[in-house]
Amino acid sequence: MAEEKYLRMTKSERIQHFLLLSSFITLVITGFALKYPESFWVRWIIFIIGENTFEIRGLVHRIAAVVMVAAAVYHLFYVIFTARGRKLIKDLWFYRSDITDLSNSLMYLIGRRKDRPYFDRFSYIEKAEYWAVVWGTVVMGGTGVVLWFENYFLPVINVQGMNIATAIHWYEAILASLAILVWHFYFVFLNPDVSPMNKAWFTGYLTRHQMEHEHPRELAQIEAESRTRSDEIIKETAVIPDSGENGTKDTEQEETDISEDKNK
Amino acid sequence: MNIRRKFVLIAAAVFSVITLAAIAFNTSFLKARNSDECFACHEDKGLTMDKNGKKISIFVDPGLYKKSTHGGFDCKDCHEGYNPEELPHNPKKQKIDCKTCHDKVKPLEKSVHKNKDCYACHNPHYQKPVKESKGDNTAQCLNCHGNKNIKDFKTSIHSQKNLGCDACHKGGHEVQKIGKNDINTVCGKCHGSSQKDFNNSVHHTVLKGGNPNAPNCVTCHGSHRIVSSKMSIESQACLKCHLDEKLFPGEERGSAKFIANYKTSIHSSIQKDGKPAAGCIDCHGDHTVEKMTDPKESTATARMIKTCGKCHSSEVKHFENSNHGQAFLKGVKDAPSCFDCHGEHNIKSVLQADEFSKINQADMCLKCHGDNKVTKGKNNHTEDYKSSFHYIALMNGNTAAATCSNCHGAHEMKMSSDPTSNINKKNVDKTCGQSGCHTTQLSEYTGSVHEVSLMTKNNSDAPNCVDCHGNHQVKNTDSLGNAEGSKQRGIIKLCSNCHASVKIIQNNNLKNVAGTYLESFHGLAVRGGSREAADCGSCHGNHNIRHSNDTLSSINKKNLGKTCGKCHPGASDVFINSRIHISDADLDNPILNWISVIYIVLIVATIGGMTLHNILDFRRKRKDKKAGH
Repeated sequence: MAEEKYLRMTKSERIQHFLLLSSFITLVITGFALKYPESFWVRWIIFIIGENTFEIRGLVHRIAAVVMVAAAVYHLFYVIFTARGRKLIKDLWFYRSDITDLSNSLMYLIGRRKDRPYFDRFSYIEKAEYWAVVWGTVVMGGTGVVLWFENYFLPVINVQGMNIATAIHWYEAILASLAILVWHFYFVFLNPDVSPMNKAWFTGYLTRHQMEHEHPRELAQIEAESRTRSDEIIKETAVIPDSGENGTKDTEQEETDISEDKNK
Repeated sequence: MNIRRKFVLIAAAVFSVITLAAIAFNTSFLKARNSDECFACHEDKGLTMDKNGKKISIFVDPGLYKKSTHGGFDCKDCHEGYNPEELPHNPKKQKIDCKTCHDKVKPLEKSVHKNKDCYACHNPHYQKPVKESKGDNTAQCLNCHGNKNIKDFKTSIHSQKNLGCDACHKGGHEVQKIGKNDINTVCGKCHGSSQKDFNNSVHHTVLKGGNPNAPNCVTCHGSHRIVSSKMSIESQACLKCHLDEKLFPGEERGSAKFIANYKTSIHSSIQKDGKPAAGCIDCHGDHTVEKMTDPKESTATARMIKTCGKCHSSEVKHFENSNHGQAFLKGVKDAPSCFDCHGEHNIKSVLQADEFSKINQADMCLKCHGDNKVTKGKNNHTEDYKSSFHYIALMNGNTAAATCSNCHGAHEMKMSSDPTSNINKKNVDKTCGQSGCHTTQLSEYTGSVHEVSLMTKNNSDAPNCVDCHGNHQVKNTDSLGNAEGSKQRGIIKLCSNCHASVKIIQNNNLKNVAGTYLESFHGLAVRGGSREAADCGSCHGNHNIRHSNDTLSSINKKNLGKTCGKCHPGASDVFINSRIHISDADLDNPILNWISVIYIVLIVATIGGMTLHNILDFRRKRKDKKAGH
């Protein structure tokens, strides 16, 4: 039976997400390759690429950084100048309800509540994810530029400043990588509801069951709005009625939970 | 008395005196008159006669005759039967018999002159008294013995010392030829010690053994023409026989071919006052010459250094103090002596570019030091040295490049543990930096922390040249990269030998600069394969490494901008405000400290919280899944 699909990420958003994920992974690999030059996986890379690995590593790291910053700038324009973008920020913004959600969720997780919180378009999990990426991009981009143009910044901030920039870049890299690994990858890969993977980052759509499970408030809202409109709608595209455009999600955050347990 | 009687008396006295005088000289007066008759003709210098077809002078100097021992005799006393009226006076050719008077002279029978007439030697007209004629006879002998060899006697040392023929041949009527077997005895009369020496020599041994080619005194010294010049002795004597391949066949030691090498040697080719620098006897001795195998021979191994030391005294002195010399003097079997390195007859100067050239010198030393046979268990110097830049440069024609003796000294080589050794830890820098070699590097190294520590402390851990560059296998720092992947890595590894050694760091109160460097961006880059990132030497220099509070140091605060500016032009004018090797960020830099504290708390809290959250999430969802659907 053909399932109803609900648009989670527009094409533009998926492109933004793809640019982010590819540049992020590249930056992680080429960055940690500098810090752990003798590790086995770096040796493999050196074995494959050859004697100029180090120089290529630096170049690729910078290219990826440029890609990521470009994607970030694109995203900035997107959230300022498009209605869907503005809606995105509005949906991602923290509200008092998120604190309630968090505490309810924790109660649910430790078994003190029967039902999980009634999540809207973005849960506290996804909001934390998004703003962490925003923060990370700013910090890594800023310190990265300082380290890249060391010759320009050295007279300005001196060796001590360079050392600080290096330290921040390093700690932030660990934080960001671990956050993606522990937080994001769990929810899009390991999470029993979506395992082996939430496919929305390249299909763009969630199923009704996933909507019911992860974003019940949003679903209810969509259905309420569609009932006030005509009956035809939902077959092909899930539309958020407020915006004149397609409903989407932000680039930097790419996952939705699919809970299959209640579906079947 | 009257005047007349006086006159008569005086006249009578005068007459009687005259008469008495006349009577007194009557006899000789008459005889003289007889010889004068002969001299009337024979005082003519041009007077000659034919004798057996030859024209001979029959001039007699009347003055000399009258002074001679026979001057009191009349001619006819000897020339019996001569008739002055006839020509010739002596048609019967009657011989003059000296024995008529000289019946008591020693007989000539024993002498080589027994068939000669007396006047063959004694000129009867001018014969001086025996007392006066002594020593004069050489000239007389040479009247007859006129061949060149004997005539050259006049130039001989014997003649110059006023010795005559009689000194050797006996004088007077006993004059004799000297037989080959008697020569040594005859010479020994005066040259007793030489004879004694000779009697102990190998020459005497073969002489006694009846070898017809064996030499005696005259074989070497010549017979009549004896001179004291060394040159003439050697060229005429030793080599006359010893270069003869018939006498000394083969190619072994002692053969003519072997000895012929002498002519190419430095000893032969450098000449002073027309003489070779060193001739045969300078080394082998003269009369005492022995076989090489004889321990008495001056060139026998045990005596070698003494013999060479006659001329090369300072070299031998150095040698005696060297390890080679000490071993040699102790009698160690394989210890080298002079000729083990320099060769024997074919001795060459180190300045000559053939067999004793620098490359060959290395091979020479490596004969013993190469295969570990002699230098038991020591390093394999062959492979080490032959892979060094020194050797490669030599092979490529750079004759200034060092070979063994340049560093170890030629004769003075000693173990590095000896404080006077060229290669002692404290002297190595001066050895490497000797004039014509690495002088620039020495002047840089002098005053560096390493040098100061090395020179002022005993048992300093500080490195000298060879600790970084190696000794026999010496390399420059470019080649360090060949082994380590990059030059930087090679240098880092090199410095880390000490600066990452816990023991050395503790003993010398150092900081773990290697560790902190390796964690810095420079270190990470080099570890990752960068060939541009700074290594130790980029900042600290290499030979002129100094402490940061030394104003000459490249890492002194005043100079840091310049040093960093080599790679980071932006840093040129910056007063660098932070230490580079930060071993403990917390203590060193409060801001860094806070950043790291904040981040670590943040990471632990955030990631820890996330992990916990997700574990719970995972558990709950699995539970729901099982329970629910």
